[in-house]
Amino acid sequence: METNRLIKISSITKKLLIALFGAFLLVFLLFHMCANLFILANDGGDAYSAFCHFMGTNIIVKIFEIVLFGCLILHAVLTVWLWWLNKKNRPVGYHKHSRTKTAKGSKLAIITGSLLVICLAFHFYDFYFVKLNFVKGSYMVKMEDFMTSDPTLEISEEAQLVFINAINDGRTSKDMKWLRNLSAEDKDILQQAFPEAGFEPDFYAIAHQKFSVWHIVLCYLVFFFVVGLHIRHGFESAFQTFGLNHYKYSRIVEILGIVYCWVVCLGFAIVPIGVFFRL
Amino acid sequence: MNFTLHIWRQENAKAKGHFETYKVSDISSDCSFLEMLDILNEKLINDHIAHPVCFDNDCREGICGMCGLYINGRPHGNDDGVTTCQLHMRKFNDGDEIWIEPWRAKAFPVIRDLVVDRSAFDKIIQAGGYISVTTGGVPDANTIAIPKRFADMAMDAAECIGCGACVAACKNASAMLFVGAKVAHLAMLPQGQVEANERVKKMVCRMDELGFGSCTNTYACEAECPKQIKRQNIARLNREWIKQLFAGNHKPNEL
Repeated sequence: METNRLIKISSITKKLLIALFGAFLLVFLLFHMCANLFILANDGGDAYSAFCHFMGTNIIVKIFEIVLFGCLILHAVLTVWLWWLNKKNRPVGYHKHSRTKTAKGSKLAIITGSLLVICLAFHFYDFYFVKLNFVKGSYMVKMEDFMTSDPTLEISEEAQLVFINAINDGRTSKDMKWLRNLSAEDKDILQQAFPEAGFEPDFYAIAHQKFSVWHIVLCYLVFFFVVGLHIRHGFESAFQTFGLNHYKYSRIVEILGIVYCWVVCLGFAIVPIGVFFRL
Repeated sequence: MNFTLHIWRQENAKAKGHFETYKVSDISSDCSFLEMLDILNEKLINDHIAHPVCFDNDCREGICGMCGLYINGRPHGNDDGVTTCQLHMRKFNDGDEIWIEPWRAKAFPVIRDLVVDRSAFDKIIQAGGYISVTTGGVPDANTIAIPKRFADMAMDAAECIGCGACVAACKNASAMLFVGAKVAHLAMLPQGQVEANERVKKMVCRMDELGFGSCTNTYACEAECPKQIKRQNIARLNREWIKQLFAGNHKPNEL
């Protein structure tokens, strides 16, 4: 009897896991979108930089970062596994292509998902890899890191020049707490002079550099459209897989899904558009 | 009405199949699809053209679940909420080309021509789609009070005739709508509660073993179901599954 064979992951449990990880990603997406809106705040990027500093240093955030990547990878791996298993269930296909009227979201999900992997790779290259020091970007550093350094330390003229130039260009936060928008070369020079200074990626500056190029903006808009297609299926689908589908309430879930999809996509899209047109 | 039919012909389960083209003429628009095939078969026999085309059928009034053909890209043809036997030729245009295929799924192997072996469904039912009661005298109606709403929902789910259109329509050849309906109609009634956890576990495990796919929420099954079983039954199946995941794992004779 196959009664006691629950160790083998059943098809429904696989789907439950996919939905669970997907749901976490959905919540993260909303959070990410809200955080991005700081870029549009009219304060020269102080709020966003403060937020990035918090996200880059807080221990709980770091734990969540690992959980997030775990979810992302497991969501993708389980889905591809299920997709591959499902493909084998119809060895001989139909001659006539299916004419059943269904929503396209589910059939597209595997394609939009694969596209998202590519989009994410570019997105990481643009932003996240700067944090991991894989690629060069713009950097910021706390002013106090220069103050607390050893006073006997000799500071090279080159470093002094970089520092003075940055101050003169107004590349500081309003409260003079941060020195911002430093190029990779400037960062290296300053880092040599002040070995203890903690440099962080300046995502505000990076965003402004990237989003001032029209084709990057366009790529990101396409990216958000694909995200929209994917979560349009995902939102409702997660509810269905968790068994939360009811004759009475599923209509509300459907509407909520559409609203969520639009809010997230427009929320994401408004940032590159806003930066590009300097709104 | 005249039609050109492209019909899947396959000698037996192991033989390689192919499409054969036949022409039928002077078909009444009031003819059902199966009657039209009867006329074709009569012609094939009388004129010694070929063996008659094999297809499953029984009641021919849409309640037995025997018939089932994949017609022009849709299980049970181009009409909603009907079985193949209830599909009428007036749904087609004169001179149409009609492609007729058997259900395609690993779990539903072709036996001959358009006949497939759907005993996989029986095996799922045998795994747990029942309630264990000692037979005896017929109990009085309404001995167990069941609210009308639940009775109605259970009845809607119990309408499933097991024709297999859900599997045929699904891009993953998944039987989730069938299993969902069979689990749901018992899960909604008091009689089904005792074995509820065991039932869903056994039936889903059996479904996986038999080579049915998993649900990816496309709902082609719901669109093609001749009895219009709703996707909510799949959600209920998922719910029952989650319930049994946390319910512990009793062996049949252990409490």
